[in-house]
Amino acid sequence: MSPETVQTIIDDLGALLLFTMILIIAAGQISRAIYAVAAQSLLIAMAGAVLATATGNADLWVIAGVTLAIKAIVLPWVLHWVVRRMNVRREVEPVIPVSATLALAVVVVVMSFHLSASLGPVRQAITGNALPVGIALTLLGVLVMATRKTALTQMVGLFASENGIFFTAMAVTQGMPLIIEIGVILDVILAALVMTIMVLRVRSTVDADIADLDRLRG
Amino acid sequence: MAETLLWVLPLVPTITALLMLTTRDRRILSAIDVGSSAVLFALTLVLAREVAAGGPQALGVLRLDDLGLVFLLLLVVLTLAVSIYTVGWLRQAVAVGNMKAESLRSYFSLVHAFVATMVVTVLADNLGVLWIAMEGTTITSAVLIGYHGHQHGLEAAWKYIIVTTIGISFGLFGTVLVYAAATDVIGGAGAMSWSAIMKVAPTLDPGIVRIGFIFVMIGYGAKAGFAPMHLWLPDAHSQAPTPVGALLSGILIKCALLAIIRFQTIAAAACGPAFPAEVLLVFGLTSVVVATPFILAQYDIKRLLGYHSVEHVGIVALGLGFGGSVGTYGALLHVVNHGITKALAFFAAGTAIARYGSRDMRVIRGLLAVAPIAGTLLMLAALSLAGMAPFSIFVSELMVLRAGVGHDHWVAIAIFLAMVVVIFAGLLHHVGAMAFGGPTPAAGREAEAWSPLLGMLLLAAIMVLLGLTIPASFDGLLQRATGVVVG
Repeated sequence: MSPETVQTIIDDLGALLLFTMILIIAAGQISRAIYAVAAQSLLIAMAGAVLATATGNADLWVIAGVTLAIKAIVLPWVLHWVVRRMNVRREVEPVIPVSATLALAVVVVVMSFHLSASLGPVRQAITGNALPVGIALTLLGVLVMATRKTALTQMVGLFASENGIFFTAMAVTQGMPLIIEIGVILDVILAALVMTIMVLRVRSTVDADIADLDRLRG
Repeated sequence: MAETLLWVLPLVPTITALLMLTTRDRRILSAIDVGSSAVLFALTLVLAREVAAGGPQALGVLRLDDLGLVFLLLLVVLTLAVSIYTVGWLRQAVAVGNMKAESLRSYFSLVHAFVATMVVTVLADNLGVLWIAMEGTTITSAVLIGYHGHQHGLEAAWKYIIVTTIGISFGLFGTVLVYAAATDVIGGAGAMSWSAIMKVAPTLDPGIVRIGFIFVMIGYGAKAGFAPMHLWLPDAHSQAPTPVGALLSGILIKCALLAIIRFQTIAAAACGPAFPAEVLLVFGLTSVVVATPFILAQYDIKRLLGYHSVEHVGIVALGLGFGGSVGTYGALLHVVNHGITKALAFFAAGTAIARYGSRDMRVIRGLLAVAPIAGTLLMLAALSLAGMAPFSIFVSELMVLRAGVGHDHWVAIAIFLAMVVVIFAGLLHHVGAMAFGGPTPAAGREAEAWSPLLGMLLLAAIMVLLGLTIPASFDGLLQRATGVVVG
């Protein structure tokens, strides 16, 4: 593949990633947000495969495979399992209206592109628009976490945020060292595991959403 | 030989963590705990001699220079003190049912896993490994914060894991950006190694490093407890079991500061020292200002200490921001002083809470009458934390101030001084009321246990010593560490 083709594909995947992010923000039910983040992870894995073919970097194949298995299949499945098992509230319960969050999201995306447009020479090191898309995804993930009251939606925001980082990391010309990426994914899995246990524990002892507890103040 | 020790160091707590799973006996667990911490301490001293004699030691992704050594020494001293304190604390906690006797091994196992991840953050030369270990500290300590299993602990643990995980994913983004800038110059291999990046740092693209540093500052800053990302800190530090709280406040937030210093040196070389200094000043001042009203209006003694940590990381950031050798030296000294003093304060507070069965400072009255030694130590720690001469924190705060004066940051100094004076008064008011007067009738009057006292006295001795004089060898270490940062 020529560098131009790769850049076009990465840019298209970036656009789709932003679209899935909008779906996550707009989702009214937790299960839809989970599907959207799974689709997002699938796109990340595809981006990894494209970059692996283009650069001949075998490490990227491994990363794409692990992303597909863990972030697109296992973690969403676990989240769904928790939703079913605990019979948690199905609505995402936004702190501010979804429309306001969407408006904020637009601002974030525009700012991300504006920011990286100001960096002329740097962008050689990163393929296509991966930098602004990555920044936007990371910030929007935080936005989701800040504006939702249920623990599971906060976890979805966290995964989306990390997808943004992975997208940018893959598009750095040389790719990240494999061992580091594996370590990062391992950490994500462990963190998700610990969070899931906490959610279940609070649900089973006080029948409340852990993200909703607000006794500690002042 | 010395290089191999770099890998042995994190292995000691790791193996200990596994070893802990093999027994349920509290005495044996405590013995392994203290023994392992002592071994870690001894190995660090050996390494310290090697580094002092032969410069930085490196093997693979791990590297120990003078800067890392300052933090490593603080880490092993606190770990040892915590282990000694834990012996008696645990006996009491099991007796009153705060800790379940059958789950002690998982507690010890987690504490040592937590220590192992912190050792790696301090030793990491590879910025990716640094990040992985930092997330590792979050995961292990989150479980420990919620360890008591009650609702408040779990709430604090959730807030902690969410805020710091999202925080350090910003840190990862910053790391990726710095890596992208570095691959542009030196190619893929070694572009994540801090020492390799530092060699080419002046040639890195300033634009991308600038964005990278801001991401890192927000990311690791959340972990370090800078305002306004500090919201988890008072909850987590106050809800964790006392020994864990001491580790969190004493050393974990310092590990995050070390990560920030690593990136600060890269950013200073790539974009000039003024840029990272400004960012640090903004976060430092915000933290000092935001913490003040919460310290004054606080009734929960452990939350008070938590907010106080926010103030003190702010002071460290101010020292780094004022910069120069004096500011950096003061900041590093403050890291050590605050770590030692804050751990001591947590220990003493934990002892007081156990006696009165309450963490409300309005209930804790007349501590000196029921527990003279612990009460005195709490007084000393509080006086030191408030910045009273001749304790160690006074010395380092003075250095930070002097650096500010030297660089004409008058506004920052004015705000800093005003807040320090207010906090001084507030803290003395709180602690004076706790220490003096007639004790509450409900207060426990049993004799003071030896092991918590021993752990506290160890820290108090260091605190007093560092206030009176800085030993020549330690001064040399701090000078060289300052050299690593200032260049």
